[in-house]
Amino acid sequence: MTGRVAGFFLLMFFLLAAGIPFLIMLSVSLQSMEQIYSPSLALLPNPVRFSNYPDAMSNGNWTRYLFNSAYVAGMSTVLSLFINAMTGYAFARIAFPLKRPLFVLILAGMMIPPQVTLVPLFIQMKQFPLAGGNNLFGAGGTGLVDTYAGLILPYIAGSFGVFMCRQFYLMFPKELDEAAKMDGCGRFRTFLSIYLPLSAPILGALAVLKFTAAWNEYTWPLVMTNAGADTLTTVQLALTRFRNEGEIFWNQLMAATMVSSLAILVVFLSMQKYFVAGILSGSVKE
Amino acid sequence: MGTFRHGIQTNIDVKKRIPFLTGDAVSAYLLILPFFVFFFLFVLSPLLRNFLNSFTNDSLGVKEFIGFRNYEKLLRDRSFLRSVLNTFTFALFSIVPLMVLGFAAALSVNRPKKAMYAARAVLMYPYVASMVSVSMIWLYLFDPGSGLFNKVLWMAGFSGSDWLFDEKLALPCLIVVNVWKMIGYVMILYLAALQGVPQSQYDAAVVDGAGFLGATWHVTLPAIRPVSFFLLATLSIECFKTFEQVRIMTNGGPLDATTTITHQIYMRAFSEFKMGYASAMSVVLFLMVFVVTLLNLKFGGQLEEDRGNG
Repeated sequence: MTGRVAGFFLLMFFLLAAGIPFLIMLSVSLQSMEQIYSPSLALLPNPVRFSNYPDAMSNGNWTRYLFNSAYVAGMSTVLSLFINAMTGYAFARIAFPLKRPLFVLILAGMMIPPQVTLVPLFIQMKQFPLAGGNNLFGAGGTGLVDTYAGLILPYIAGSFGVFMCRQFYLMFPKELDEAAKMDGCGRFRTFLSIYLPLSAPILGALAVLKFTAAWNEYTWPLVMTNAGADTLTTVQLALTRFRNEGEIFWNQLMAATMVSSLAILVVFLSMQKYFVAGILSGSVKE
Repeated sequence: MGTFRHGIQTNIDVKKRIPFLTGDAVSAYLLILPFFVFFFLFVLSPLLRNFLNSFTNDSLGVKEFIGFRNYEKLLRDRSFLRSVLNTFTFALFSIVPLMVLGFAAALSVNRPKKAMYAARAVLMYPYVASMVSVSMIWLYLFDPGSGLFNKVLWMAGFSGSDWLFDEKLALPCLIVVNVWKMIGYVMILYLAALQGVPQSQYDAAVVDGAGFLGATWHVTLPAIRPVSFFLLATLSIECFKTFEQVRIMTNGGPLDATTTITHQIYMRAFSEFKMGYASAMSVVLFLMVFVVTLLNLKFGGQLEEDRGNG
């Protein structure tokens, strides 16, 4: 019985610790600057200022920022999942020379943190041949810096998805391939019309992870896009701009933070099961 | 089952010596080609290039081979040395509380009730939210002039603190934010491990006369050992890479008190354009991650999955 009570208080402690900062964010997003700067502790907004939200959204071109984030996250998710699934299928189902060393290479790739390759990747993007005014040797222009391609392409290369898809396809019965072959399906057709439609569980989990990661990404857009222009700014970068001004309008900043987190909140709440599955699949070793 | 099937399949790979140009092998290469193009362009080639660049004075204009000079300079660079110290401090003081609190959180939500799903969602949300928004929220909470913490202190009759602007407090503040954000992740992994323990083992422990603590000691702890190893490795690597909250909340200050290795890489490369020098720092970071990965492979048995699991 004491265990139960202790457990309850423990749970309450964690819930409050996790929840209070978000409730404060919500509250501050509705407060006036006078209230925020008054030294007294008033947790509820008084008066309630809904106008902070439109004010925050007109501080910069937020329609554009939201579109940019959605476009970059959406494109990288779709492209990377398709490539991951295709590669995972080949590794799970087809025997070919050098399969094992290539697979070890993929596993090793999962261990290379993007922070390590940040600098050379930037140089490589800047010197990308025949893009952004560059010549064949990558000199003369800005390359893929400040382009959607520059933002999206590196996100597609992750190996984690390949590994996950391979594990998933290993569980499929081999008869599936044999039947497809009898019907005259090539490998690509088999993948496209048999394996891919059966991949919803794994692709769902991977999609949630990939979309969230790309939407939340800060570092790569920070180095890849021009700080002065608005065209490619993502929501995460736009949020940090509220800080660069002389006075920080905390109420607008919190309102913008609410808006930018909303997409992730919706994805998370509606696909919590996939999310948990995705996190676990990276770790569970039986 | 999966292990078994895949084990056989690998053997066949080796024994049969499949010729390169069977139709099947060609389709396989075509299927994996797009991935490897991306993988080569955006992972392998930058990694290789980083090593090569670390021996040059590349500054986006000139580029000459200068041997080990960058590395020699690193050893005398006070900001960099400080960032190494900060990064290890940050990792140590994040990981220990994270494992303890994450495990406690997992215990507290480990009951088969509907309400627990909602509780888990709340505890996980900080992990799901972007580091930028989390940083913004805590930036407000810590704000000396208008933030929640000082308002509470003032209410209670204390004088406020400078929090992130205080040289001694800034790094602990960042650690608190990190722990707060990552608990949900640790919780989910521990929760899965706890739920993998069959009830019968607890029953057996109780029959043997073990109390709650005894059952935890003899049944739960052995069950969560593999996950703990895994967490130790992933959390270390995660902490070694720390950058976003530093850049957003303190930009390394005050006086390098919160600068981290990745923050130093960013500053050298993107505000001073010393690409070669930043590459040498990246190599150090890579080696740190590499060592942790090797230790984890050796002691954590993590590549089990390579032999296939179902």
